[in-house]
Amino acid sequence: MSPEKLIFRFEELGREHKQLVGKKCANLGEMLRMGLLVPPGFATSIGMYRRFAKETGAAAEIAQYVKQMGKLKGKNIAVFDEMSRKIRGIIESQEMPPALVKTIASHYHELEKKGEAPDGAVSVRSSGTESRPGMFETYLNVVGIEDVLDKIKKVWSSAYTARAIALRVNKDIPVTGDELGVAVSRMINARSAGISFTLDPVTSDTSRIVINSSWGLGEGVVSGDEDVDHFAVDKKTLKIIESSTGKKAKKVVNKKRGVEWDNVPTKKQSAPSLTNDEVSAIAKLALFLEERMGRAQDIEWAIDAYAIPPDNIVLLQTRPAKLTVKKPESVTDRMIDLIVQKFYRP
Amino acid sequence: MPKKKQVETKIWDVVPGYDFIEEIDLAAIPSWFLDGTHSVPPLTPLFAYQWARFCSHGFKAACYKLGIPTCKGWEIRIFNGGIYCGLHIVRDQEEIARREVKFRQALRPWLEDFDKHWDTYKKELLGIYDKLKQLDVDRATNLELYHHNYDLMEAYMRMWEIHFIGMYTSFNTWLLLEALTKERFGLSDQEAEFQDMMRGFDNKIYQMDKKLWEFGQLAVEMKLANIFKDNKPPAILPKLKESEKGKEWLKQFMDYMTTDDIGGWRMQHFTDFNEPYWLEDPATPIGLVKDNIMRGNSYDLEATRAGIAKKRRAAIAAFLKRVPPEEKELFKGLIALAGKSSSYSEEHDLYCELSVHALMRRGYMAMGKRLARSGTIDNPEDILMLNPDEIDRVIMVPEAHDMRWITRRRRAGWEKAHKTTNPPMLTRRANLEEAIELDLLPSRDAIAIKIVVGEIPRPKPKMKADLWGICGCPGAAEGTARVVTKYDELKKVQPGEILVCPSTNPTWTPVFGLVNGVITDTGGTLCHAAIIGREYGVPTIVNAQKATGKIKTGQRVKIDATNGAVYILDK
Repeated sequence: MSPEKLIFRFEELGREHKQLVGKKCANLGEMLRMGLLVPPGFATSIGMYRRFAKETGAAAEIAQYVKQMGKLKGKNIAVFDEMSRKIRGIIESQEMPPALVKTIASHYHELEKKGEAPDGAVSVRSSGTESRPGMFETYLNVVGIEDVLDKIKKVWSSAYTARAIALRVNKDIPVTGDELGVAVSRMINARSAGISFTLDPVTSDTSRIVINSSWGLGEGVVSGDEDVDHFAVDKKTLKIIESSTGKKAKKVVNKKRGVEWDNVPTKKQSAPSLTNDEVSAIAKLALFLEERMGRAQDIEWAIDAYAIPPDNIVLLQTRPAKLTVKKPESVTDRMIDLIVQKFYRP
Repeated sequence: MPKKKQVETKIWDVVPGYDFIEEIDLAAIPSWFLDGTHSVPPLTPLFAYQWARFCSHGFKAACYKLGIPTCKGWEIRIFNGGIYCGLHIVRDQEEIARREVKFRQALRPWLEDFDKHWDTYKKELLGIYDKLKQLDVDRATNLELYHHNYDLMEAYMRMWEIHFIGMYTSFNTWLLLEALTKERFGLSDQEAEFQDMMRGFDNKIYQMDKKLWEFGQLAVEMKLANIFKDNKPPAILPKLKESEKGKEWLKQFMDYMTTDDIGGWRMQHFTDFNEPYWLEDPATPIGLVKDNIMRGNSYDLEATRAGIAKKRRAAIAAFLKRVPPEEKELFKGLIALAGKSSSYSEEHDLYCELSVHALMRRGYMAMGKRLARSGTIDNPEDILMLNPDEIDRVIMVPEAHDMRWITRRRRAGWEKAHKTTNPPMLTRRANLEEAIELDLLPSRDAIAIKIVVGEIPRPKPKMKADLWGICGCPGAAEGTARVVTKYDELKKVQPGEILVCPSTNPTWTPVFGLVNGVITDTGGTLCHAAIIGREYGVPTIVNAQKATGKIKTGQRVKIDATNGAVYILDK
């Protein structure tokens, strides 16, 4: 692969390309290789961001600014907020160099022409070399080349959200240490969407697959803010061993451009957002991914409203599963914690 | 120098170094709380000195060793024969956080295996006591007595350190269990459902009670019952010596009193040196054997205790059904540990205070005899009017000293103190509530809250009771009131009466087998009366404030202990 190449169709990528295009894009390519259904699309490399930053002078300006800020460890969040505004402004105010516009536009129009994204609607997602869940931005239902170019710049600049700067400062990573690839892919019009874990993230029980699901684009599931449907599937028997429906009052849906929160009709609020067949199919995909990736996975998927089962389950991302809590402590540990919290913390 | 009007100060003191001096002590610590549990009736000066010095040391040592985050221990002062406690509260947040790190480490081994650590300490204490017992105090030289004074103080110091380490570690689990059951199930430790889970544990107190009960059975089998039935306790012993069978029974009994690790080495009166220990005056334990015989076959300690233990297992099983599966292990563990704090609270007295006080009484009475023989003091009992430094000063050459100017004055003061009531606190705060709010509760001190000061009763106006306390042991009872303010008067208690007293201690235990109900002026849910009440299944109300003042002996009273309500039926 020539080092000058800055943009790739997902088909060209695999897990070995994490440094080139970031983990999300590399894994999308890997899933395609496995014959799984992922939304068609392309990746801009981390090199493209570097070239953009160099050619426009943004890199130098940012470096200068960061240098002048001096020592950052221990600074409060207001300082990071201000840095974020400043640096994101530097990136977003640059014109995209014509050579980059040309290559992005040609890939984008190819999606349209091939019918892979017939109405030109795409999602624009960050893809870093390190896993930093929730740190960077994602833009959904982006339509038209102007908007795509704008959102790519915005994803790049989201390497400098205040929370991302704070995280790097606290972990002694250079402020400019995160440079992002971008995944541009067909916007799935999701009937339902959610996540699956190939272990129970709370109890770390590895004998089961845990699935959370909701109506619409699934942003509510990922953020963890909304009530969702919960399913657990036994890995050995692939039987559904737990199934409970949450009261899903709201969902994220596509509008003409962008997305919005919409009310779920009352009678659908407590109805399951997945059929049992879909739960089983999602569980099988999850198990397959765990086996092929060699470790427990945390997977995002969507049910494409326009596709015909069983080809309607689209995989949006897979990554190693992280546990949400530590292993359960001993009873003594809990007693000590409780005694201290209840009696000796003023 | 300008001539200043000489301020009148006392040239002698009662408990030098520990007498409460208002202007000094209130400036250092704003509120001092009366420990009514341990100082009614008024303490003798020697006992008060030892208690003020070493009990407060034990508090401070345990708080230091365990890193209790919010409290560095208690200071003790003596006022009018009463113990007043001022708490060293840690108020600096950073210091609290630093202490918490140590506290977590220090608490862990006790939560993992409480019995192991307590057994180690018990052995250490028994070893110390064995060494003290080796000195034949009546034949000892003056020099040996001089050293004995220090050996006793060293033993006392160590006893208090161990005492409070055990107490702080055990009580925290009781408090946690109570907090969790209250928060999750609306169940407080003043309720029957909670208390039933904490009863019926075996420990040294019950093993000894059982032994005395068995000696009663033995006496009946040996056809000696009439000697016990027909005579008052002091006359029983000489009567027993008149027959071979009596001698045989007495031999077995005295063997137990001398060879058991506690046996006769326990005081009658819990917190002072002015009454004999059992071995010194076997009439007391023999009197208890008599009580058991008098109750006849209807009284079966074993069956009562087994019934309570069975009830405990059922109560725990029923409670655990309410606990969600993921919390079961936690609650199971906590219930077991809280049970130990109930048990420790009761048993430790035998290994700690009652034993060491018996040895101190023995040692100091020997010194008292020595001083009285030389005319240094009027009689041996007057040793209790001195303090260890004064004894140190005169014991080598007693005949060269006359200490009566001190002992007579202090005895007069001590006797006078019996006629007055000590205020519940000495404070520069506006009132009781403020003092508790600012100078007690921030310590979060389990011992203060659950035993010494206790929680404040919450009256339920609809029930129209005459007096309110808190539930020590649930249940209802009715009977004739018997107000007892001294151990001496305990003999007057008749079966079926309601005992009304300032507080109780382990030496009062046997009377719980006799009465229908108990009301105390002071104490919390882990005080002696509450624990013994629960173990004997006697409805008990504690912290009823002025019960001994409002209720008169002979009045008919009804108690609803579950609700903490006392009704005086014939006013």
